[in-house]
Amino acid sequence: MAWLLSDKPVEGRILVIDDEEQIRKVVGIGLKKAGYDVEEAEDGGKAIEVLNAGENPMMVDVIICDIRMPKINGTEAIAYFRTEYPSIPIIVLTGYPDVQLATSLLKAGVVEYLTKPVDRDRLLSAVKTAMEKREMFAS
Amino acid sequence: MGERMTMESDRPVKVLILGAGKGGTALLELFTSTGVEVTGVADINPKAPGLRLARGLNIPTAADATALIASNGANLIVDVTGDPLMPARIADHKAADVESLGGTAARLLWTLVQREQDLRAQLIQAEKMATLGTFAAEVAHDFNNPLYCIREFAAFIQEEQDPAGMQDYAKEISKAVTYLSSVAQRLSQYARSGHGDKPASDLVHIPDLLDQAVTMARYSVSTDALEVVKDYGTVPAIRANSGELLQIFVNLVTNAVQAMNGRGRLTLTTATSQGVMTIAIQDTGSGISPANLERIFTPFFTTKGKKGTGLGLYIVQTLVKKYGGRIHVSSEEGNGTTFTIYFPDTSPPPL
Repeated sequence: MAWLLSDKPVEGRILVIDDEEQIRKVVGIGLKKAGYDVEEAEDGGKAIEVLNAGENPMMVDVIICDIRMPKINGTEAIAYFRTEYPSIPIIVLTGYPDVQLATSLLKAGVVEYLTKPVDRDRLLSAVKTAMEKREMFAS
Repeated sequence: MGERMTMESDRPVKVLILGAGKGGTALLELFTSTGVEVTGVADINPKAPGLRLARGLNIPTAADATALIASNGANLIVDVTGDPLMPARIADHKAADVESLGGTAARLLWTLVQREQDLRAQLIQAEKMATLGTFAAEVAHDFNNPLYCIREFAAFIQEEQDPAGMQDYAKEISKAVTYLSSVAQRLSQYARSGHGDKPASDLVHIPDLLDQAVTMARYSVSTDALEVVKDYGTVPAIRANSGELLQIFVNLVTNAVQAMNGRGRLTLTTATSQGVMTIAIQDTGSGISPANLERIFTPFFTTKGKKGTGLGLYIVQTLVKKYGGRIHVSSEEGNGTTFTIYFPDTSPPPL
């Protein structure tokens, strides 16, 4: 598949957390086509494992996270990420438009609250914004 | 009206039904579900539907009406045989204090019973549609994800040069479509199930229906943190209208899941002992207060505000009684609720 062999420089590494495999695949392909490296996790617990497994947790630049998931759900996982990895920007991608939840998550430092189905352009622009925040932290 | 006059009318009505065709069956269903004791059912046709129903309810049956007329303990005989010689036979054999109802009067009764049955069927159907209505938000969400995937994979195909890549995306699309149609099918099946006067002729496997009910109830509330424990002991397949039994279980499982707000343990148990089948649906939810516990089977009583019709448990009880069963509830506030249904084992005898 051509995009896998893309010789574009890697734009950044994104961790996609969603319990549905097909959603992870769709989001992942869209990101890879735009030049990003993608890690996947099927729930909050696995995501925490992924983040803690690497020698350098800074290997993930942006997290895209679903809310409703079994075991450790999105809200719980995000609280953990904000505490343990405050420099990694988080984008919420959920099936449930919930103004209250969106407000509280944005207050907690989430960069964007997006609902599925999301336009690829919209997702990519959110990721770009998040990457800029990331770079601000890094510099 | 003096109080002494009520003695006669207070005597519990015990009915012997002659004729187990459509009319007799309708009477039998109405009487048993309203608590009127039926002491026997007779029909010369051994395949008459009312005879099978009566046997399931442990009510004596006979091919020859005479013996039942002579000594059955009934104080009312209802003749819906349509047999012109039957009134004379009843008069010849019945005890003096036993009343009988036949001819035009019985036909009138049957007409009223049919009307009652139609209304009840409409109510049951309306409750089912109302339940499906409350599922709409979750169902819409359930549709959103596969639709999102279909749209994106279609775009990927358009951008793709490599045939292998295209094939992969096309496979993902058909996976999403298969999922969507299974959801649609499940919902429309539930909407249509048991509609009309389908006889209780399906051979029903209770554990299968409990599983289906869990799938449906997941649309009532987010159930990501729900643990489902299935303790299915061997139960015989029973003759019933599967749509009606599914409605019983969808109502009970939905209530259980909602009482837990989707987080907790749902335990489903089936067992058979000494000809009685037990089905228990247990949750670890909010429980029911003693005051509410007394009213839960009352029509239009609901604690769900505008989200409930107040008909769910009323219909559950109606349908359980229709199959000669009993329902029992035990609950402790804060610790969860258990509904237990007892059904007579009406499995066909081994050949």
